[in-house]
Amino acid sequence: MASQEYDVIIIGGGITGAGTARDCALRGLRTLLIERHDLAAGATGRNHGLLHSGARYAVTDSESAAECIRENTILRKIASNCVEETDGLFISLPEDDIEYRKTFIESCQRAGIKAEAIDPKDAIRMEPAVNPDIIGAVKVPDASVDPFRLTTANVLDATVHGAEVMTYSEVTGFIEENGRIVGVTVRNHRSGELSEMRSAVTVNAAGIWGHAIAELAGISIGMYPAKGSLLIFGHRVNRMVINRCRKPANADILVPGDVVCVIGTTSTKVPFEDCDDIRVTADEVNLLLEEGCKLAPSISHTRVLRAYAGVRPLVASDEDPTGRSISRGIVLLDHETRDGLPGLITITGGKLTSYRLMAEQATDLVCSKLGNVKKCETALRPLPGSEEEVGISRQSDSLGRKAAGNRHGARVFQMDFADKSEVVCECEHVTRAEIEYAIKFLDVHNLIDLRRRTRIGMGTCQGSFCMLRVATVLAQALGCPEKASEFVRQYVEERWKGLTPVCWGEGIREMEFMRKQYGK
Amino acid sequence: MQESNISPNNFEQCLKCNLCTSVCPMMAANPHYPGPKQAGPDGERYRLKDPAFFDLTLKYCLNCKRCEVACPSGVKVGDIIQASRLKYGHQSNPLRDTILASTDFVGSLASPMAPTVNALLEWKPVKKMMNLFGVDSRRKFPSYSKLKFENWFREQVPSQENFRRFVSYFHGCYVNYNYPELGQDFVKLMNACGYGVRMLEGEKCCGVAMISNGMGRQAAVNGSKNLDAMRKALRDGSEAVLTSSSTCTFTMRDEYEHLLGLKTADIRPHLMLATKFIFDRVESGDIRLVFKEERRGKYVYHTACHMQKLGWTIYSTELLKMIPGMDLTVLPQECCGIAGTFGFKKENYPYSQLIGSKLFDLIKKLNPRAVITDCETCKWQIEMSTGYSVLNPISVLAEALDLEKTSRLNVAVPSR
Amino acid sequence: MRYDIIIIGGGLAGVTAGLQLHKAGKRCLIISEGLSLHKTPKDEYIAAGGAFLPGDSVISGEWDGNALKAVRTRNLEGTRLEADHFILASGKFFSRGLVATMDAVIEPVFGCDVEFDSCRDKWYNDDFYAVQPFERFGVKPTEDGRVFIGGVPAANLWAAGEILAGETDIEQSALKIVSILVK
Repeated sequence: MASQEYDVIIIGGGITGAGTARDCALRGLRTLLIERHDLAAGATGRNHGLLHSGARYAVTDSESAAECIRENTILRKIASNCVEETDGLFISLPEDDIEYRKTFIESCQRAGIKAEAIDPKDAIRMEPAVNPDIIGAVKVPDASVDPFRLTTANVLDATVHGAEVMTYSEVTGFIEENGRIVGVTVRNHRSGELSEMRSAVTVNAAGIWGHAIAELAGISIGMYPAKGSLLIFGHRVNRMVINRCRKPANADILVPGDVVCVIGTTSTKVPFEDCDDIRVTADEVNLLLEEGCKLAPSISHTRVLRAYAGVRPLVASDEDPTGRSISRGIVLLDHETRDGLPGLITITGGKLTSYRLMAEQATDLVCSKLGNVKKCETALRPLPGSEEEVGISRQSDSLGRKAAGNRHGARVFQMDFADKSEVVCECEHVTRAEIEYAIKFLDVHNLIDLRRRTRIGMGTCQGSFCMLRVATVLAQALGCPEKASEFVRQYVEERWKGLTPVCWGEGIREMEFMRKQYGK
Repeated sequence: MQESNISPNNFEQCLKCNLCTSVCPMMAANPHYPGPKQAGPDGERYRLKDPAFFDLTLKYCLNCKRCEVACPSGVKVGDIIQASRLKYGHQSNPLRDTILASTDFVGSLASPMAPTVNALLEWKPVKKMMNLFGVDSRRKFPSYSKLKFENWFREQVPSQENFRRFVSYFHGCYVNYNYPELGQDFVKLMNACGYGVRMLEGEKCCGVAMISNGMGRQAAVNGSKNLDAMRKALRDGSEAVLTSSSTCTFTMRDEYEHLLGLKTADIRPHLMLATKFIFDRVESGDIRLVFKEERRGKYVYHTACHMQKLGWTIYSTELLKMIPGMDLTVLPQECCGIAGTFGFKKENYPYSQLIGSKLFDLIKKLNPRAVITDCETCKWQIEMSTGYSVLNPISVLAEALDLEKTSRLNVAVPSR
Repeated sequence: MRYDIIIIGGGLAGVTAGLQLHKAGKRCLIISEGLSLHKTPKDEYIAAGGAFLPGDSVISGEWDGNALKAVRTRNLEGTRLEADHFILASGKFFSRGLVATMDAVIEPVFGCDVEFDSCRDKWYNDDFYAVQPFERFGVKPTEDGRVFIGGVPAANLWAAGEILAGETDIEQSALKIVSILVK
């Protein structure tokens, strides 16, 4: 069994693990990031893509709210290429208590969130898609963030600073010596190989799966798996994030993300064993649409592209059947002090918006254990691609080049558009240049990974048109042309899961078409 | 909840089957054009995020609407492309484009000096100058007529008012400035069918060339004037507003509402090609036609792209088939490549001729006595590119009818 | 306009029926929303002089009891298209012969009776490669191939091709109706 030494091993390639790996690498630690599937394959890629201003938590959880607005401000600077500064509205409908608005604005102000009451008429002008029946609106600095890009950029920067990354590698156990965690055993799912990785400190950043990871070390964290379902629409109906100005509830946020928009969420407790294969039910879809129409009526006649669900890594404090009242705050557990097991810490809870702070806190703890005194720099150093504003201003550029600039920021200059400008995925204008860049630099092993790096197959056809073409390009680039049909099979099965809950209207037409193309 | 699943700009009904791409004439001729699906529904999602995603190659769209006819999902592919050109595009050669689009204005200047203008347009130094100006020197201009149709018609007004039933005629720029003979045939034909013809008060160019040259505002001004004139004509007792050009008809019936946002619902059922009007009334027995007995020979009918979009080829061809001795072949639908002012522009001329070549070859192979089509720009293109003469169904019908006998039969039909 | 037979749908079933009926001397009209993918029989049909309306769709029918008298299309507004017989060959979901709302599957032109499962969660199979229940939804015809509307068989509206419920041989279903109509 091969064995290697690191200062720190981080388990989980979601945004928290990616951010922690970056922070550790920047502080000069020999870092290894281990991910069971692909980067951002869990809850990181299965949420709204909302960069919270904190307003949503202002009334109920002022600490989280203050955290959010600080991180929101930081991410706009260091991750400009992943963030779209849309702003957000909190709207009051006739059935809502308008008095809540006053409490809401005051709470926002206390947390340092700029919250501005807006006349309904002005709100409709700012956001034409908003329900015209609104009786009040508050403008807050919400924004939209692309979690795939954010994770990729963090991992990329970590590797630039010396970190190593193992995807499709599952931690199967801990190595314990003299009552101390000194490493992990890992199975590589692609090669089947088992190996030992040793480190001074191991960070459990595996989200909801962190519960099972802790159990491998004989520790119980008492997590609360709360499933949240969401729907993606075929195009953007809104420009600003639209929230309900009331206590957080089901389906009360509509977020514009890239060229689509997303309504969510629901919240129900699910058993741990379901977390690997959660599906959205017809009832959830109905509920999301019913509530969503109240935010923006036009979604009632906009095509629903697909449905998906993620599991929030909440840490239970009391018995709450919905998990709504559990704090979204950061949970950092030092298992040395908590459980008498040195060498292992867990970072969990929190949310996409606060990932950087979670990473900072976890890294601070790692550093204190290692005697490293280097200060955290992640709040100041821009992520790769966000060093300069690229924009899409040159009108003469091809659509593929513009789209790539929008997705990868300044990293677009590393792509070769000279003779690879042909569009491969037409819905999302992904060119061969972008695909080859992703394969070369962004740790891609199959079509699903490639989708998370580039958006291939995320458009209205869900890959039914371009899949074969992309699979051929990918298989060739990876040097395994025989794998192309296997890539397609994996990809179709993954897309199908999101299509089936929305099998009516254009959705069922697409499904019939996809089956005719690939089903037989 | 989700009852119709259709958004106003229904681009997301596009399932990416690419049937539109397979019928796009520009796609086959020009590698720089991304094709209707990419330019239309695919591009629109990105333009909704940021108008900076507007792609300059959209200027190559001919607005032929073949993509819309082919689409099994009912996506208004062509409308999406045209609307985004109007919204985000700008003219590449503003002076030339504006002059080419101002058919009404240019026509009214040229018409009084028609013989001189026509000679000048054929004169080499002028052709060279036009070339510099961005109009291809190989393009043959339609000649201007000395006598404007409107002026000719003024003389006919008293006789037209003797009828008991009326239709109004939207003659269009081409009939007015270049080819008043077609208008005269129209009047003859309608009179024989028992209808007096009236002009619209203050008819303007339908605006099709303005729309394709990024002049949406001017087109909308023309459009609302035309619609108002039609409303008045219908109030004043005309049974319908008839046309002899498929493109003007299509523009006013569909593009006014889809691209310019004008309300046309009240006008649309009463605005149509004369061939549809006559066919429906021949079917119901309200109009009876008597044809002259003579040998005619072989003709071919070319379905203009906008005629196919209207879906009305069947009216023109069924009427033509009523003519005894008429040997009519309906050609498979192909684009002739001119697309209005598109083919006049220097940078487009080669594409224009390449696109049309399939059609030209077919016509030459069939060697007909003449080509029949409902579109005037197809006429210019086919005449210039094949040498065969091209006729409008109205002229063919007017020529084939026994006008006297037909008149007698139809006058007997009582007024409604 | 009057025809012997009007065929709604220019897919394989529609053009197969149209071509055979035309060859048997019937005056046919095919109305096709979108381009026909089945170019060869379509081209042969048109070249032989068969009437074809591309890019048009039927919007309403005119009934006399359980007999369909005429249909109207979106493009040929105001023009009645009469026929002795009509063949519904408008396909399944992709071609919109069937439309799925959030809780029902309908035949949108005439409201023909459609067989489907009332629970949406049962319309699909989690396994992409398995036959999908929705692929078997469709119009259940009489023994000889006529549609039901409100439980009553139509006198002269026939169904062929993919719009039929169950597993269908597209060409055979069209030819079966042809053989009845040319008798």
